[in-house]
Amino acid sequence: MSTHTLVSAQLARVPGVAIALIALCGIFAVTSPGFATPANIANILTQSTILLLLALPMTLIIMTEGLDLSIGAVLTFSSIVLAITALATGSPALAFLAALAVGLCFGLANGVLIAVFDIPPFITTLGTLGIAQGLSLVVTDGQSVVGIPRSIEAIYSGTAAGIPLPIILAALAYALTHTLLYHTRFGTYVFALGGNREALKVAGISVRGMLIRVYVFGGLMAGFAALLMTARLNSAHPTAGIGMEFDAIAAIAVGGTSFERGNGWLLGTLLGVLTVGVLRNGLNLLAVPSSAQVACIGALVIIALFIDGLRGEQ
Amino acid sequence: MKYLLSVTAALTTLLSGSAFAAGETIAVFTKNLTNPYFQAVRVGTETAAKTLGVKVIQYVPTKPDSIPEQLSQVEDVIVKKPDAIVFIPVDYKALVPAVEKINAAHIPVTNITDRSAAGDFIAFVGADDYSIGLAIGKRLLTGIGGKGNVIILEGVKGSLTSTNRVRGFTDALKEFPNVKLLASQPGNFQRLNALQVMENLMQSFPSIDGVLAANDPMAVGAIEALEGANRKALVIGINGSKEAVELIKSGKLLASGDFNGFIQGCIGIEIAVRNLRKQSTPKEVMLKPIVIDKTNLAPYETPVEQRTCPTLEQIVSN
Amino acid sequence: MSTAPDKVAVPRLALSGDVMQTLYRVLAVVLLSVALATLSDVFLTANNILNVLRQTALLFLMASGLTLVILTAGLDLSIGANVALSGCLAASVIKLTGSPLLGVATGIACGLVVGFANGVLVTALRIPSFIATYGMMWILTGVTYYYMAGETIHGFPSGFRQLGSGYLFGVPMPVYVMVVFLAIGALFAQRTVWGQQIYAIGANPVAARLSGVPVERRLVLVYTVSGAMAGLASLIILARINSAQGDIGEELTLPAIAAVLVGGTSLFGGSGTVAGTLIGALLLTVVLNGMNLLQINSSWQPLATGIIILLAVWIDTRTRRIGE
Repeated sequence: MSTHTLVSAQLARVPGVAIALIALCGIFAVTSPGFATPANIANILTQSTILLLLALPMTLIIMTEGLDLSIGAVLTFSSIVLAITALATGSPALAFLAALAVGLCFGLANGVLIAVFDIPPFITTLGTLGIAQGLSLVVTDGQSVVGIPRSIEAIYSGTAAGIPLPIILAALAYALTHTLLYHTRFGTYVFALGGNREALKVAGISVRGMLIRVYVFGGLMAGFAALLMTARLNSAHPTAGIGMEFDAIAAIAVGGTSFERGNGWLLGTLLGVLTVGVLRNGLNLLAVPSSAQVACIGALVIIALFIDGLRGEQ
Repeated sequence: MKYLLSVTAALTTLLSGSAFAAGETIAVFTKNLTNPYFQAVRVGTETAAKTLGVKVIQYVPTKPDSIPEQLSQVEDVIVKKPDAIVFIPVDYKALVPAVEKINAAHIPVTNITDRSAAGDFIAFVGADDYSIGLAIGKRLLTGIGGKGNVIILEGVKGSLTSTNRVRGFTDALKEFPNVKLLASQPGNFQRLNALQVMENLMQSFPSIDGVLAANDPMAVGAIEALEGANRKALVIGINGSKEAVELIKSGKLLASGDFNGFIQGCIGIEIAVRNLRKQSTPKEVMLKPIVIDKTNLAPYETPVEQRTCPTLEQIVSN
Repeated sequence: MSTAPDKVAVPRLALSGDVMQTLYRVLAVVLLSVALATLSDVFLTANNILNVLRQTALLFLMASGLTLVILTAGLDLSIGANVALSGCLAASVIKLTGSPLLGVATGIACGLVVGFANGVLVTALRIPSFIATYGMMWILTGVTYYYMAGETIHGFPSGFRQLGSGYLFGVPMPVYVMVVFLAIGALFAQRTVWGQQIYAIGANPVAARLSGVPVERRLVLVYTVSGAMAGLASLIILARINSAQGDIGEELTLPAIAAVLVGGTSLFGGSGTVAGTLIGALLLTVVLNGMNLLQINSSWQPLATGIIILLAVWIDTRTRRIGE
């Protein structure tokens, strides 16, 4: 075999998103002096944590041929409940539990509507999106919720051994999800939900129960992410999480998880989230006009999937 | 390799839209790309920058009014260490952590338009939404003869601008006891929204004499709705936008409150530059509430791009 | 003996099922209207009904082309951004040339081209429609923002404005446009071969292809139509508000999708009707109109919309079970 074929054979093994990520990092490192500094890299990673927390469970959900459009709105409402609880009780721990409870409720609602009432995931979560969004607006009347204990803010701005806390938390979440998906029976069942539901039924596992669990996982992660969001803003705002579900889906798609076949790749999601974060950060550092940034994000998504499509045919 | 580098460098220059400039670099943050008010602010900053020999870089969230995005942009900009920042927070409370970060990085920052709830600023440049609302509210209420029915079209729920302007309206109403407030509904500062809200309100209320709209696009939406139903009412808006000026000329709009984004942008840059060059700066510049109507239209008919910045002295001495 | 190959395997549209669904929805609209009429004495006035119809017409036009896309089990998230770009370009042309006709042509042409591009992304580049149209949405938005630079284009000739705010025999113009496209859409979907093929693609793309349906060409067609309808909708908006801005139409994407879904079209493709979409649009508009009339805090609106979507589809799944 010629060297050329060998090299391209190796390249074919490297996923498109990794190439995109490396290419973007390379371009930005060369053209923007501040990009490759530890401070900036820490920024990119920290800024990506909330999106990653949403994209992880979304990957699982997409693997089951489902979708959770409500996750951004649930994040928002959870963060509002968290802030209100913190104000009322002065206890960050209680507030966190309240946020998780909200996430749990919406996750349950989604799961039940989808699994038991048979309403397609797109529609169900579109409906719960409206409900969560509506609740956020009504409860706050459009205003920020401020005055929460400073200890909450420290969760976003604090560091441990020099590493920003959010990065540590996100890494933990990734490790948890990875273990769940690839090293437990739960994970195997999730794969089965996507490609082979018959196998589950044969094994006597309740498909409904599994589906509900997957959406509950999504809700809980949204509640967890609410902690980071509230800490980041040092407040809660009814528009804070708007549109994040679509960002998550785009990052997952860029990362290589396919909608059709129900296969999923968690590392791909991480790479996809990082790629989007690097792109936005790099464009900001280069002072690219905002309208061009908007177009670039769309281009990234389309190009990434186009490349994947090409490679899929080989 | 060298070729690749020079190509990328060329692309970068192209993308950043400006050649190298001597002088200080100032980062300007506005809320979105679509509201003409913020465009006027940006034009103001660019005009002032040219006169003063500084370079301005604009940062606008790709998702309009996105809080997390503006936070990220501030964090990214701090890495680049601009000489100064001129800041309009997307939300005056939620962006406080961003201001604290700017303060911690020791970058001097000037706050314009929306007064941030906390943080260290060189100065605040703004117009008093309340006074403008009050002044123009009184103008409308006088215009309808001190009696009749009026409607308030609010802005975005929870926005400081909206809250203060509406407060001005309602206080103006207190001075006219014979005027009845029929309804106060949010129109989200947007034209189509206000049009549909107005249409719905016109169903419920057959007699409307005046409309107090918290900004010009909503005022125009209300006018469209009225014309569509062949009804008449006196309408006022706030912004002093190009369209409002045209409508005042043609008599369809009674008046518009001058909430001058262009000037705020100018003065924001001027203060930032003066601070950098170790000149004295006022702690606060509040533009006077001006009601634009047929009598004082002339200066507002020049498009923003062609206006020149007033100097700080001119504004402060007024 | 070999059997002759079947003609295009048209899925049994279960006409009775579709008719039932439409009836349920019409019933819902009627019940809702009765309730609102009792709660508000303004609801049933001629003016208000015309308002509701006008607002429904706009939503329907956005959602009509989208219905075809969803029938093929696809999705078009770019329609809102398409409205913005098409509208802004059309507005510029009207101002430059003074000719509303040229503006109308520009608006529809732009929408069409965008739709065609979506179709190419989905068929030739094999990108899932969700992602392709999502990426397209961002690109269109970027181009529109850049082009408009935060400005507003306003003041169109009164002839053009009739399209949005005019009346003919006391009925708002957009309603006529709505009726025309309702007829065209329904006839196309139910009575032409191409329409049947679109249903087939949604119901079973593999079988459709084996039966000789030119799947790629039909897919490009539905996305192109969806884009063209977005272009048309943008013109109505322009005529209504007499101005164009970079963000017009962006708030209409999700409501348009909701209208299609509430109207009974299934996301999995293969079942649903254009008439259903009209009823869906009507239902959503009536609810929002009612909330405005009753002066309910507008913050409750997303909540109400969400609940209606869930209810509508839940009822569907129940009635489909009964039908089976």
